[in-house]
Amino acid sequence: MGKRVNLRVLLVDGDAQRIRQLTLALHQQGHRVICHTADIASLNQQVAKEQPDIVIIDMDSPDRDTLESMAMMSRENPRPIVFFAEQQNDHQTMAAAINAGVSAYIADGVQPDRVTAIIDTAIAHFSAHAALREELAEIKGQLAGRKVVEQAKGLLMKHQGCDEAAAFKTLRKLAMDRGQKLPDVAASVIDILKTT
Amino acid sequence: MVTIDALEKTELQLGFVALADCAPLVVAREQGFFRQQGLQVVLSKESSWASLRDKVSYGLLDGAQMLAPLPLAATLGLNGKPQKMETPLVLSQNGIAITLSSALQRRLNMACEPGEDQHAQGKAFKAMLAELGYRPIIATVYPFSNHYYLLRFWLAQHQIEIGRDVELIAAPPGKMLSLLQRGDIDGYCVGEPWNSLAVQEGAGELLVSSYTLWGAHMEKVLGVTSEWARRHPNTYRAMTQAIYQACQWIGLPEHRDTLLNWLALPPYLDASPQQLRSVALLSTLEQRFSGREVNRPSLQHGEFLLQQMMRCQQLSALPADAQALVSSVYREDLFTPWCEPAVIDQRLRAAQ
Repeated sequence: MGKRVNLRVLLVDGDAQRIRQLTLALHQQGHRVICHTADIASLNQQVAKEQPDIVIIDMDSPDRDTLESMAMMSRENPRPIVFFAEQQNDHQTMAAAINAGVSAYIADGVQPDRVTAIIDTAIAHFSAHAALREELAEIKGQLAGRKVVEQAKGLLMKHQGCDEAAAFKTLRKLAMDRGQKLPDVAASVIDILKTT
Repeated sequence: MVTIDALEKTELQLGFVALADCAPLVVAREQGFFRQQGLQVVLSKESSWASLRDKVSYGLLDGAQMLAPLPLAATLGLNGKPQKMETPLVLSQNGIAITLSSALQRRLNMACEPGEDQHAQGKAFKAMLAELGYRPIIATVYPFSNHYYLLRFWLAQHQIEIGRDVELIAAPPGKMLSLLQRGDIDGYCVGEPWNSLAVQEGAGELLVSSYTLWGAHMEKVLGVTSEWARRHPNTYRAMTQAIYQACQWIGLPEHRDTLLNWLALPPYLDASPQQLRSVALLSTLEQRFSGREVNRPSLQHGEFLLQQMMRCQQLSALPADAQALVSSVYREDLFTPWCEPAVIDQRLRAAQ
């Protein structure tokens, strides 16, 4: 027998795109993936029915407490699940997982080294996703900032009777004098001109 | 002359869970008690005790509102790798209860007057089980909690067996009420506001509160890792004093409206102040936030928690140095010098 490790993975994640991509990646590694996206009322049943070897769950899912309770409460459950950190001495992997927002539970008796690759894949996907989300937030912030600057320019033009270039110059000078960012200066200009 | 010792860290991240007893953290921030102590604090809402524990363990949070048994369980390594944690301050006492669905409670009331004491109610509940024809499902939130211990305690007291007589499941607190309303569960044991809300919505009725069963007990505490405490002694004290001041502030009845308005804000409980107000009025659970005996970590309750962990098979044997262990987690020795009102006043005067 070669070293074939295909495991039953239960993914619990509310983010449809992230769960799809991670499922794909795990399929390619030969694992069987069960997804759990919404109604968590049935998580108890699903774990009991599917008997996953490993559960990968969004760090911020309220269902983590449910999973940890199941492990403690149901002695009749033949395969209680345990928090990954219990079996793992690698502080760095754990810290990376927590930073990426990944938490993992593995069934009692499954060797930790069998699941390391799965956890690494999850960390990679969660991190990439977080990076994308940050980028998106930044772009949104920039767009909003640009809008504020446009509005402040308009008000300045009306108020000072100047042209667009002069209004922009005023804003830029204010920003440099105060050591502030352009959108912040623009916002305070709007505040002042709107109330006068 | 008291001088202000340099704070090792002034910008802090503290975790909380959206329950009524996160109030001391909210007040310490909104009323400016943290600021007075020279601290800038961000409060981070956590969606599970597990995530809160991990973030404190791995240093993503400086400290957090914790279930009273959590620092003890973490220190013992009962819910992950052993991580020494401790608390210098109790945030709240009591406030948890077992609530039954209205349907089940109506049946129970046929056999037992609603006003009867909890022993009579328990006996009637046990007798009712034989005639029910199904095993009621009771939900709880987290295994290292007074809620879970209370439920197990009450069931054991009336010889009600899990698996044979009732079933226990776990669910997040935010889903409890809708599960009860849908009939997916027959009761639950949770903290406020979820018991009062069930009564208010007509979905359930209180069966027994922790205060009735146990008397006053620590419910939520301010928890940090002992490593963090060692590295930030002055910040640790300043943070604790700010939150202790917040607890005292909550104790004054004229602050009630302001408190409920703050708690209702989206970053915290995200509810309407009216709803919280009626819940607060309904509550007969003796949820308390202030008083030196309320906020002082209790060694006695710490030892009681160790026993509950054994009773629930979370711990197989009492640690040899149980007393030393309990006093290393529940830091009564820090509370006493730090939270003398005179000490706090002097420090604040010196800071001005």
